[in-house]
Amino acid sequence: MSDMPRQITLEEWDQRYEQLQKAGLHQPSYGGPLSRHVGDGDKRLLKLRYDNSAAALRLWNFLLTEEDRLHEARNKGKRLVGTMKDLGTVPVMAYSFDNLAAFYPDGAWWIPCMMELDAGLLEIADSLGIDESFCPVRAMLGAFVTGAHFPIPELLTCSVGATCDDFSAIAQRLNGLGYPILWWEVPHRRSGEPGETTVKLPGGFSAPKCQVEFVKSELERLKTALEELAGQHLDEEKLSAGIKKANQVRTYLAEIRQLAFTAELCPMPALEMLIAEMLAIHFCSDQDETIEVLRELLGEIKTRVQAGKGVLGADAARIFWVNPVADLQVMNLLEDCGGRICGTEYLFSHALDTIPEDLRPVEALAQMVLADPMVGSSADRAERICADVRRFGAEAVLISRIPGASHCALEGEVISEIVQTELDIPVLEIEVPPVTDSMRPTLRTRAEALVETIKARRKR
Amino acid sequence: MKTIIYTCPYVPAEWIAAHGLRPSRIILSAVSSAGSITRAEGVCPYVRAFIDEATTEKRACGVVMTTVCDQMRRAFDILVRKCNLPVFLMNVPNTWQSVAAQKLYLDELKRLGRFLIQLAGKSFSQDKLSQVMLEYDTVRACILAARGHLTSRQYAEVIAAFGRDGPGTRPDNAEGARPPIAGVPLAIVGGPLMKQSFDIFDIVEQSGGRIVLDATETGERGMCAPFDRRRFRDDPLMELANAYFGGIQDASRRPNNELYKWLDHELVSRGVRGIIFHRYLWCDMWHAELWRLKDWVDLPVLDIDIGGDNETYQHRTPNRIRAFLEMLQ
Repeated sequence: MSDMPRQITLEEWDQRYEQLQKAGLHQPSYGGPLSRHVGDGDKRLLKLRYDNSAAALRLWNFLLTEEDRLHEARNKGKRLVGTMKDLGTVPVMAYSFDNLAAFYPDGAWWIPCMMELDAGLLEIADSLGIDESFCPVRAMLGAFVTGAHFPIPELLTCSVGATCDDFSAIAQRLNGLGYPILWWEVPHRRSGEPGETTVKLPGGFSAPKCQVEFVKSELERLKTALEELAGQHLDEEKLSAGIKKANQVRTYLAEIRQLAFTAELCPMPALEMLIAEMLAIHFCSDQDETIEVLRELLGEIKTRVQAGKGVLGADAARIFWVNPVADLQVMNLLEDCGGRICGTEYLFSHALDTIPEDLRPVEALAQMVLADPMVGSSADRAERICADVRRFGAEAVLISRIPGASHCALEGEVISEIVQTELDIPVLEIEVPPVTDSMRPTLRTRAEALVETIKARRKR
Repeated sequence: MKTIIYTCPYVPAEWIAAHGLRPSRIILSAVSSAGSITRAEGVCPYVRAFIDEATTEKRACGVVMTTVCDQMRRAFDILVRKCNLPVFLMNVPNTWQSVAAQKLYLDELKRLGRFLIQLAGKSFSQDKLSQVMLEYDTVRACILAARGHLTSRQYAEVIAAFGRDGPGTRPDNAEGARPPIAGVPLAIVGGPLMKQSFDIFDIVEQSGGRIVLDATETGERGMCAPFDRRRFRDDPLMELANAYFGGIQDASRRPNNELYKWLDHELVSRGVRGIIFHRYLWCDMWHAELWRLKDWVDLPVLDIDIGGDNETYQHRTPNRIRAFLEMLQ
């Protein structure tokens, strides 16, 4: 088997795994052939196509062993924190303690996809009155009820205020079922008014200082709860060290994104890039290992770029993707149709921005909370998308709607209008449910149409 | 007098009136198509109707919205682009127990005040606010006291008219006031009603029931607590904030257990025997409460989901209510 970068099936990965092993592949403790995860019920893996590098193998194995890691952390005496509706802030605080592990229960939204609906989580959500009119994140309710997909954490936190209603309502339902939740408020980010002091936030947005102060007070409340759970004081030095570590993750991801989205030949497929980006939110329950996984992935991408090698054709249509997909297979589909990802806004761009290290640590984290693209207006988010489209040279924007999600109903109109006005590039909206098999032809047709449009525009 | 339109119960009418503007908490009409937005799919019919109303409104000089629900927050993004009127988005915290959340609400009222001053062209005085609060509080008390003398629809309409037109509306002005009829006592619980939904009160009466508790956002549940008249003389704005932010219980609160405490008290004291749960398709906040309510309350609950089309009102809703009442009689 050649070492040329390419996308392979799970079956091919088994052969590739043997080849790599014979060549002396060094693996972490969670390593092994990818196909073993199918035995855990992750049937969707059989239908995906993967990058064939050892770095991608490590990334996938890291992702698919998170539950084991959480159990192991608990067995070692660590206390678990479920950071709901938190895209990258509370975990930074939690991992600043040496005896806490934070995870993201909302991540259960991918279980129906991975297990091709066999886990029964959506049915449990249905039985609790949370039906398909809600976002697929409702699977989280089922995961709590069954206790089969992650250990129930000692502390559950949930941000509310400027968040989507689906999640807020589902978390309230969970609370009503007897799970205590520490709610914390994030105000809708607004522009400063005449006479107000404003703060320039990481990522480019700005907010009035009073909002930063408010979020700081909420984070102090969270810090106190974490300190009580850990039985340790979190001083500024420890928190600053935690921020530095989180920034290591973000620095690697920034480099990975820059290379992968701008290289002449796409060096890493969309699916692996999506998973890599997701690590920024909560470090897949192991911050140190996240850094190593990303370091290896970055190394692979650099090698490929330097060698002028890629996984897709040179003429692939350069597409900027908005919102994460509930069905991972759709990332493969886009590439099948002749597209490649050149820029993303998966709802958490702020978790990829560097946390300021020259500020007091809680102030820096409060700024990050308000830098969340979903906390402000869709127009702000569209402006950030436009800036990144320019930066990565994307030729079109694809907005992937999440079924039932409260923000998706109205944001598409605003984002499309602004992108088209400012950049004069095509914008397409699609809706991606957890398993797209039945609508694959429709999705394919729409993606192909977008790719054809992009290629036709090149000839203008 | 210049009019400010809004729908959220956490916007105090007194605050707008004290700035010399006319507050009008509008009751929306359902729109059967996408209305003023590109696509209706996934959009709550109430939000759709609000966008339509705000973009076609001719009499108002400004619009006030809040962040209580995410779709309204997103609708603000649409309105600032499509509506010819100045639009203000007020941050209303979902959490409520902390002093910081209460202060945020108070600060937002002050920010709203600055927006209102721009529209009114003049500032307000504490005395004026106290006077307006007294006036509203008196009429509000009068309306609440009239509940036993009006039909449930008249009562709901008087509350709606009070929100829309202010304290000039008194229950004794209710057109053709007639005493309530006897019938199976029911509660209606949920978000705001649109104009068409007021027919539900008649349908219930025609089917042998009577709504004795209007726990919708446009009904009693959406009215603020009575003012403490000693406190409001010292600091009227603080008392206003307490009465609204602390006095209105809603599904959007986190946690929202106070809503259930309020409901528990009202359902028992009014001898309610069944609940009509009124919600809009795509309204996650209320939808998620349906089964929790069913688990919590020892009463039958009828789910009325509104898609925003008239057909629902004309056929399905009356039939379901009739069947529900047949079961209860």
